[in-house]
Amino acid sequence: MTKLTSRRGMLFGAAALSAGAVLTGCTSNDPDDGDDKAAADNQPAADDKPGKQVTIGFAGPQADHGWLNAINDNAKKRAEKYSDVTLEVTEGSNDTAQQIGQIETLINKKVDVLVVLPADGKALTQVGLKAMRAGIPVVNLDRIFNSAQAYRCWVGGDNYRMGLNAGHYIGERLKDKPGARVIELSGPDNLELTQQRTQGFDDALKNYSNIKKVARQAADFTVESGQSKMAQLLQAQSQFDALWNHDDDQGVGALRAIEQAGRDDFVMVGGAGALSAFQAIKADSGVLKATVLYPPTMAASAIDLARALGQGKGVGGLAEYEIPSSVTCYSAVVDKENVDQYMSTGFK
Amino acid sequence: MTQHVSPPRDGTGKAAPVDGPPPAWRTLTARADVRTLSLLGVLAVLILIGGITQPDAFLDTRNLQLVLTQASVIGVVTVGVTFVIMSGGIDLSVGAIVALSSVWATTVATQEYGFFGILFTAVVVGVGCGLVNGVLIAYGAMVPFIATLAMLASARGLALQITDGQTQVVTVSSVLDLGERDSYVLGIPPLVLVFAAVTVIGWLVLNRTTFGRRTVAVGGNPEAARLAGIDVRRQRLYLYLLSGLCCGIAAFLLIVLAGSGQNTNGNLYELDAIAAAIIGGTLLSGGRGTIVGSVLGVLIFTTITNIFALNNLQSDVQQIAKGAIIVAAVLVQRRTASTH
Amino acid sequence: MAPEPPLLSMSGITKSFPGVRALDGVDLDVQAGEVHCLLGQNGAGKSTLIKVLAGAHQPDTGTIRWRGEDVTLRSPIAAMRLGIATIYQELDLVEHLSVAENVHLGHEPTTAGFVVRGRAARASTAQLLKRLGHPEVDPGRLVGDLSAAQQQIVSMARALSHDVRLIVMDEPSAALDPDEVDNLFRIVADLTAEGVAVVYISHRLEEIRRIGDRVTVLKDGRAVAGGLPAESTPTSEVVALMTGRNVEYVFPDRPSGPPAAEPVLSVKGLARQGEFEPLDLEVRPGEIVGLAGLVGSGRSEILETVYGARKPSAGQVLVDGRPLRPGSVRAAVRAGLGLAPEERKAQALLMLESVTRNVSVSAMSRFSRGGWMDRGAELSAAREATRELSLRPDNPSVPVRTLSGGNQQKAVLARWLLRGCRVLLLDEPTRGVDVGARAELYAVIRRLADEGLAVLLVSSEVPEVLGLADRVLVLREGSVVHEAPARELDEHRVLDLVMEGSPAS
Repeated sequence: MTKLTSRRGMLFGAAALSAGAVLTGCTSNDPDDGDDKAAADNQPAADDKPGKQVTIGFAGPQADHGWLNAINDNAKKRAEKYSDVTLEVTEGSNDTAQQIGQIETLINKKVDVLVVLPADGKALTQVGLKAMRAGIPVVNLDRIFNSAQAYRCWVGGDNYRMGLNAGHYIGERLKDKPGARVIELSGPDNLELTQQRTQGFDDALKNYSNIKKVARQAADFTVESGQSKMAQLLQAQSQFDALWNHDDDQGVGALRAIEQAGRDDFVMVGGAGALSAFQAIKADSGVLKATVLYPPTMAASAIDLARALGQGKGVGGLAEYEIPSSVTCYSAVVDKENVDQYMSTGFK
Repeated sequence: MTQHVSPPRDGTGKAAPVDGPPPAWRTLTARADVRTLSLLGVLAVLILIGGITQPDAFLDTRNLQLVLTQASVIGVVTVGVTFVIMSGGIDLSVGAIVALSSVWATTVATQEYGFFGILFTAVVVGVGCGLVNGVLIAYGAMVPFIATLAMLASARGLALQITDGQTQVVTVSSVLDLGERDSYVLGIPPLVLVFAAVTVIGWLVLNRTTFGRRTVAVGGNPEAARLAGIDVRRQRLYLYLLSGLCCGIAAFLLIVLAGSGQNTNGNLYELDAIAAAIIGGTLLSGGRGTIVGSVLGVLIFTTITNIFALNNLQSDVQQIAKGAIIVAAVLVQRRTASTH
Repeated sequence: MAPEPPLLSMSGITKSFPGVRALDGVDLDVQAGEVHCLLGQNGAGKSTLIKVLAGAHQPDTGTIRWRGEDVTLRSPIAAMRLGIATIYQELDLVEHLSVAENVHLGHEPTTAGFVVRGRAARASTAQLLKRLGHPEVDPGRLVGDLSAAQQQIVSMARALSHDVRLIVMDEPSAALDPDEVDNLFRIVADLTAEGVAVVYISHRLEEIRRIGDRVTVLKDGRAVAGGLPAESTPTSEVVALMTGRNVEYVFPDRPSGPPAAEPVLSVKGLARQGEFEPLDLEVRPGEIVGLAGLVGSGRSEILETVYGARKPSAGQVLVDGRPLRPGSVRAAVRAGLGLAPEERKAQALLMLESVTRNVSVSAMSRFSRGGWMDRGAELSAAREATRELSLRPDNPSVPVRTLSGGNQQKAVLARWLLRGCRVLLLDEPTRGVDVGARAELYAVIRRLADEGLAVLLVSSEVPEVLGLADRVLVLREGSVVHEAPARELDEHRVLDLVMEGSPAS
């Protein structure tokens, strides 16, 4: 499961505004994935009795879009919950050299554990190795390092499963409709995660012989591109039954195009978990019926794992003495039924 | 062309070499026409391709409205950029200015002032950025490439700071309504009307005013313009102001179109606008160009995107084709330039 | 013929450029160890000849013998290999490289063929500089930081870094102070003592007398005299050789008396540091005042400073007694000045535009209301102005770049006519204009003066100034050395003044 990757690339500047995400429990509704952390920070943590004091260094990229903002918030709020955790947060940077410098400073300060969301996983592998050699365990968040020696534990999302779950949700809704037509509005094609999401979506649809994907266009995670590409898709496809849009941010534009074209004859599923998407799902007044998560609560989980590492404990709910080396968060589907549970995690 | 057959008056009574009058096809007007015709030809071929591959979806009023609407935002930017390039300058900051204008005009505070608050803010921010560009270039003697590159970086940064990376959804219904079908005037979307108006005004300014003449003179030969008594620096300042104004208008159109402001708006507009202007026959070195050519360049790009999307071709193919078209257009132009 | 063949022997060299025969069968012999001077007016073919010698131009016909053997100088490198080095007037140094790097440019001392041995280069450069009497120049300094004289020394060091047998120096003293000139002559003497030959180009006869051995005079692409003794040939003979021309200039008649009106243009104490000394002059309506002088005498600089295109370091320009804002072209144009610059294509014309637009560019406010152009009025005014000057073709809609040089100049004049300018500044008005069209231009200029324009004329062609102007100021190295009515001067006298620099009388 470690091959799941990484949102690297998205970081870069303006193109990024990416897949939003949700504060939801990385793992809360999927015990298979390994630990027992609860998702939202108002739920009890696994082992919240105060223990040994732990200083955790946290280095992330510049929060230039909502999902990364949510990552930072999750990490900080989670750390505040623990009286035995001190969080050293660096100023976010998208500059690889600068981030390396920041992490080296944290190493020199001799923090107990490092949590790193690298601007570029490959480029920061060396500094991860350096920390590990210095005896500081590294929790690698989302964008994975090149070498397993560079981290003690990786926590991240599952792009392939986002596509898979979106496909299954649509498949179940349309399974009784013969000759059903589906279209896809993807993220930028030059990102690996886009390819993974599309692959998952296609694989899921293979289970439904009555459904055919008739069109796919790539937007670039921006509202503007979402509007433009969706307008063209709507013009190209005068009739279809469902749409999967990879990203709720570009979804704002896509919904605008749908509104401008006056179309309401299909079901739309989003991706990431933006607050605006949750509100639309809850209101149930438009085409948007569900969205698939890429949860920023993984940052809270990373803090939990870092604390456990610092205190030399395992995690509850598993038989292992040690914490796992890899934790993949589940891409849950949020629809009208469960949207209230996630509402507080939606990001703007 | 009118040919005057009256015998030349010769003040000296001495013979002097006489240039034969050049053939009519060599005159400036005719040359511009050849270029415009070739662009129209390209557009016609594209329409043919679109019509053959997607007879229903492409040859459709709604699709025409769609293509023109999509062309409006970048089209307005391109008109401004054309002026700047014609003067021998470059504006790399247009995309960033569109982004900054669009987010500044859609903050919660601005939206409280309603339709005109948003419109006013978008335009003022655009003009303000243009003013900074213009002052740096005209009076600070900065190279346009560097000055506008700096503006690109700072405007994008400021846009990010304002939004904190969040999408600012517009709630002012009068603004949103402008992008809906109900607002179409005789079937023409209001955005397209604005684009058309900017095009016509741009054409008039370039071809019928002293401002346009000075622009061409400054671009064609800045030293000659200076020695002819033109205030070259002030002209440059005005040109970047004009480009900023176009960005402000485009930002408002984008707000209407996308129903939101976002710091990623206007991504790579600078390259799209420059590419459209060059395909339209504007010399990157300045001194020559037409508004009609630039607008045709925009329409060609938008039509290609539309045809590709309708045929469900993916972005890799689209990008390759876009690059090929730029190269082909420039090569054709060079041929035209050398044979005429 | 000496038993030893001459070091260099060029014979029957011809070289044509489109429209011009720059060299028309030139012969030149240079002996080892001599200083051979080349004399000639601007455009006589000196530059072309030394470029042929440097391998930069290929002659159309003619032979070059080097130490008795026929050679072909295919490229500057080929010339360099034979031992011919050229020091151009416009020094061809790379400003952003150091002295040593410039000296060894293209033949750097290397290890294993590509690793530059910087220390060796600096050491040998220091030695060369010492030999040239400038040990104070640091081989590690950037050439851009050096003075003009020092740069010339670097250029010379570069020539000497090769095994050089012949050095061509194109006006080497033009940028030098008197003591630097002395040093230069010492170097030349040292070189010739070692058997190196020097081809020395200068306008200053006194220099030629001091260091020259023999003189070859070029005129209109021909060597009109070869191998004259430099010390003993009378100045008058040299000048006569330089000026005797084939081309007949036809100048219009001057008005009988000097114009009585008050001067429209007055220049008082105008100066620009390093370019020209404080200058006074006045031009009255109807009068043509000429500035005569050689290249580098500050003529164009004076004109551009009067026009505001260069900012003066002292003095002022007055039109109708009112001072102009210094350094402002717009102020000058508003006051009624107009400039027809030397580099017409680079400085005056919008080459992509029509004649009409070129003519109207300075007078757009005349054809516009609220910024809106009245194109009909513009076209008819442009047509009227170009017809007034007999510009051909008689169709102002054609692109200006299709016009001949003379007609392009008329388009520039028409611009100022349309603007209603009162003082016309003409910088080399007939440059690039063929001979037949010149007479017509002269007539046009005289007619404009007769109609009340004040004209300030600059030309490197002395007969042009003498023939066209009413009054002439002779310039030498930025100072006026003489002022007189044109009818009281002749070409010999002017050339004497510009070359010998006898004091103003």
